[in-house]
Amino acid sequence: MSATSIEPNAVVPVRPQAEPRITLRSFLPAIVVLLASGLMLMLRVQFGGRFMPDSALMMIALACYLTAAVFHLMNLYAPSAMALRVGMWTAGLGVFFNLSSWLVRWVAAYDRELQIFQSQGRSPSELGWVFRYIPFANLYDLSLAFAFGAGFTTLLIAHRKNFRFLGAITLPLAALILVLARFIGSEINDLQPVLDSYWRPIHVGIASLSYGVALVCFSIGVVYLIKDGVKIEAMAIWAALFGLAVIATVSKGSVFLHLQYGASTYFPLPDGRKMPLTYLRADIPWVGPALALAGFMLIGVIVAFGIYLAKNNETAKLWGHRLLKGSLVVQACAIALLVSQVKTMTDIGSKLDPRNYEAFGKWLAEQDKMTPEQIAQIPAADLISHASQFVAANGSKLILSLNANPVELAALITVLTATLFVLIFSFRTERLRQALPALDKLDSLLYKTGSVTFAMLAMLLITGAIWANESWGKYWQWDSKETGAFVAWLTYGVFLHTRIARGWSGRRSAYFALLGFLFIIFTYLGVSYLLPGLHSYA
Amino acid sequence: MRVYKYGNPRLRLIGNISFQCAAGQAPNVSAPAITVGVIQERNFMSAVEEAQNSQTGNVTAPKPTSTNAVPVLNRVLDFLSSVRFGVFQLMIVILLALIGMIIVQQNVEGFDKYYATLTPSQKMLYGGLGMFDVYHAWYFHLLLLTLSLNIILASIDRAPITWRIIKGRKLTASRVWLNAQQATGTVSIASLNGEAARDRVVGALKRFGFKSTVTEQAGKTYVFAERGAWNRLTYLAVHVALLTIFTGGFLTAQFSRDGNMPLSPGEAANQVSQLSFGLNTVSEVQVAIPFTVECTDIQQKLIKLDGPITADNTVDWSTTVKIKDEYGETNAVVSLNKPYDYRGYRFFQASFIDLGNARTVTLLVTPERGGAAQTVVVPRNGSTTLADGTRLDLKSFQPDFTLTDGQPDTKSGEYNNPAAVLQVTSPSGEAKRAFAFKSLPEGAPVGNAVLGYKYKLINFERASFKHVLALSKDPGKTFVYLGFFGLIGTLCAVFFFSHQRIWALIEPKNADDSQSPANEYDVVMGGNTNRSKMGFEDRFHKIEDAITGNNQEVQS
Repeated sequence: MSATSIEPNAVVPVRPQAEPRITLRSFLPAIVVLLASGLMLMLRVQFGGRFMPDSALMMIALACYLTAAVFHLMNLYAPSAMALRVGMWTAGLGVFFNLSSWLVRWVAAYDRELQIFQSQGRSPSELGWVFRYIPFANLYDLSLAFAFGAGFTTLLIAHRKNFRFLGAITLPLAALILVLARFIGSEINDLQPVLDSYWRPIHVGIASLSYGVALVCFSIGVVYLIKDGVKIEAMAIWAALFGLAVIATVSKGSVFLHLQYGASTYFPLPDGRKMPLTYLRADIPWVGPALALAGFMLIGVIVAFGIYLAKNNETAKLWGHRLLKGSLVVQACAIALLVSQVKTMTDIGSKLDPRNYEAFGKWLAEQDKMTPEQIAQIPAADLISHASQFVAANGSKLILSLNANPVELAALITVLTATLFVLIFSFRTERLRQALPALDKLDSLLYKTGSVTFAMLAMLLITGAIWANESWGKYWQWDSKETGAFVAWLTYGVFLHTRIARGWSGRRSAYFALLGFLFIIFTYLGVSYLLPGLHSYA
Repeated sequence: MRVYKYGNPRLRLIGNISFQCAAGQAPNVSAPAITVGVIQERNFMSAVEEAQNSQTGNVTAPKPTSTNAVPVLNRVLDFLSSVRFGVFQLMIVILLALIGMIIVQQNVEGFDKYYATLTPSQKMLYGGLGMFDVYHAWYFHLLLLTLSLNIILASIDRAPITWRIIKGRKLTASRVWLNAQQATGTVSIASLNGEAARDRVVGALKRFGFKSTVTEQAGKTYVFAERGAWNRLTYLAVHVALLTIFTGGFLTAQFSRDGNMPLSPGEAANQVSQLSFGLNTVSEVQVAIPFTVECTDIQQKLIKLDGPITADNTVDWSTTVKIKDEYGETNAVVSLNKPYDYRGYRFFQASFIDLGNARTVTLLVTPERGGAAQTVVVPRNGSTTLADGTRLDLKSFQPDFTLTDGQPDTKSGEYNNPAAVLQVTSPSGEAKRAFAFKSLPEGAPVGNAVLGYKYKLINFERASFKHVLALSKDPGKTFVYLGFFGLIGTLCAVFFFSHQRIWALIEPKNADDSQSPANEYDVVMGGNTNRSKMGFEDRFHKIEDAITGNNQEVQS
């Protein structure tokens, strides 16, 4: 079937050595994962509450993703069929445990409400239909599904041998999302009645899968830029800027201002729930100075690499890399100190930062249902003394938990990961570039995943609009979450159009694919934690 | 002599060339050569490349130097219809949307709190630029308008190219040309004659969904095959769908009506209150509706029956109403996520007034003079009659009972000290007020018999004081939904199908070589697609295998 005869002087390109044919078998890992997870669901139904809890399954999934990422990275630098095979197997296992955890959680949510009903002597027939319990009720659920979407898309793309390496980037990102989920906490809450609609599984299901595909598209964008010859030092500057932004904003800005890191406290409520007090922050020794040091080193990285890129100064490059490595070590120490102390610290009341008392006093006044005008008229001293009284009375009851600041912690870990990856990429970059598939193949896949993300985000917006119209009578209200998704959709729209607009294709086009994912992350987390609006529950 | 027609790059190029020659200038030899090449090659490029080249073509061709108004208009139209202008506008929309997210908008809950934190200069700046209501600012509307215009013009601009790709099929192709395609390959087949070889190629293409056209020319056989040519049109459909949504949005903004109607059982209303947001104020406007809505029952289905009536503990709310107008009476139930439609208006559960009440109360009624106690259930606003003819009317329900100026009242909205306030009417017509408590408050002067009975509240079904229904009428919705379905359908078509074309040149193998057996043929193939390049290459190679009869999987 290859060209056996060639006309003289005719250029006949030889067909590239055959890739394996795409058959159903190529998708076997993905199919097996789905079936096996279904089996886990049946086992959970069969064994009831004695079965493994969903949170344990999630932790196994996290471990699998991390292991798979390590093997994928090993394979990228020292190609080995064995490493790739182990990487693919553990990735498959990770997706399997990820999906199982989500499915098991569905049954657990049903069981939970069944128990409440039975304890009141009501019949199970009064329970809602099965989709009432689908785990799409809060950010934890969405994160589980998001990580699954990313893992599953990675498995699907791995049907092309050329693209199996992608797991080296997508799986650590999926692992980060599960880490965030771990910090959010796996508690199952009562469902807001407005969410009890058949549109919820449709809308949120599309959300999690589209976010997953977008994550993969982002990863391909990063790889594209590396292959296209973007200097790792330029990437390091972006990563350092991101790191600086995180360090400057966590703990309400106290890291750079006061060289302190305060962790939010929890106030235990009588009914067993915990109320987060974001203004009452307990100082965690050493973490603030360590983070500030890491931040200053990142500033050094930006300056040094800036000089290197502008003047091609090799000394600056050398120092930039040194500072980047130093920052990585310091960041790791800071996070280790933070996690270990949050878990072990006692007598929280004495470690609170009084600088936040005024803000906390305002918050207390808001809890008393005072209007902003009334609060504005309270003298600062009264607010502070009100807060001090609360602390004197309740200080001993306060507790610390990793769940109190999920986004801050996850952001710090993301910065650490980004720093680590920049360092990994800066190691034998040329060799890495050669190991990556051709630029046009990457571009083709970038376009494909970008298009799918665009189409799915369109469906996300449409199903959301229809649901809103069915529940509230308005299909579009410019709520921050819908605006966020809209902005992300537009960005992918720009990405698609830049490819046909003159002078925008290639690298510039890829930047939009990266930007689109950043907007998705902003929509997914930023809106829920930073902005008010209709989607405040998730 | 100049043929300069807006929106047709090919004609424009030809026009430019003619113009130059006619003006007697030294013709730029290289530019026309390149542009002609572009025109000829356009037939085999992907949509993206084709579009790119049409743009590049615009630029490489020298601009006409005439100063009359037509080129200026053309240039304006060129700009308005360009993809770059579209991209630029999209980026402005993104920017404004981000501003709208970061600056809390005035119709968002908590705006007053946010507004109080701003400095006077911030208030003046944001307010002056309309950023507290950025999505309704004049510049945002203008932007959407120019974006729509851009979509329309860009679609018109591209339509002729698209049409040419669909209709102007290239039926023959040279070896060199074929080998420059996205996917290429040459296979040899043994065949009795040229017809059999051709049938084999056409058959293989047909098996993969390609429709073939065979051309015989100069002793050679050419096969052109394609599938999914209609896919070239989907971008038009996507943009038509978007414009339909925009139109619907405009109709909604101009003509939709909505408002709230708080109702407790027994109440009726024939108007809704619409909220109007200002910077410091939220005002209510009453709007009349063409019918009267009377509430007959409200129910709150709770998770924990003895828990609070908050949203957290609720499975569903429903309000039973009677709608009265000139056409008669209609009964309806409005539940959360199950709206009710009537005369173009849609009824929703919007919210509820968080003040504990009871849908029914269950009373233990004990005769004063001895005898068996009986349990009776009295609905909200309802009554029941005991065996001896004594009638009990439920006048009110107080969740946290207290007396204010001698009248029953509640201290809070919580069920701390629930009490039913009854009017007891004896068979003789004598009426007195009675209270039924769940547990008697200490030292309370109540609990004595009233008209021969003692009353105790044993149970009650929790419900809120009022449900707030939202009524909305939205003539734009139909357009928006139409656009939604169009968009979903066409996006699927765009991304899951593609226009794939394959050309094959069939000629006897080594015609000059007398050594070679006469019944072997070379099939030189080339093909391209507008999308999903890798998927197309897979298919292309499968077709090659089908032609040679080699269907085994290649093990790698």
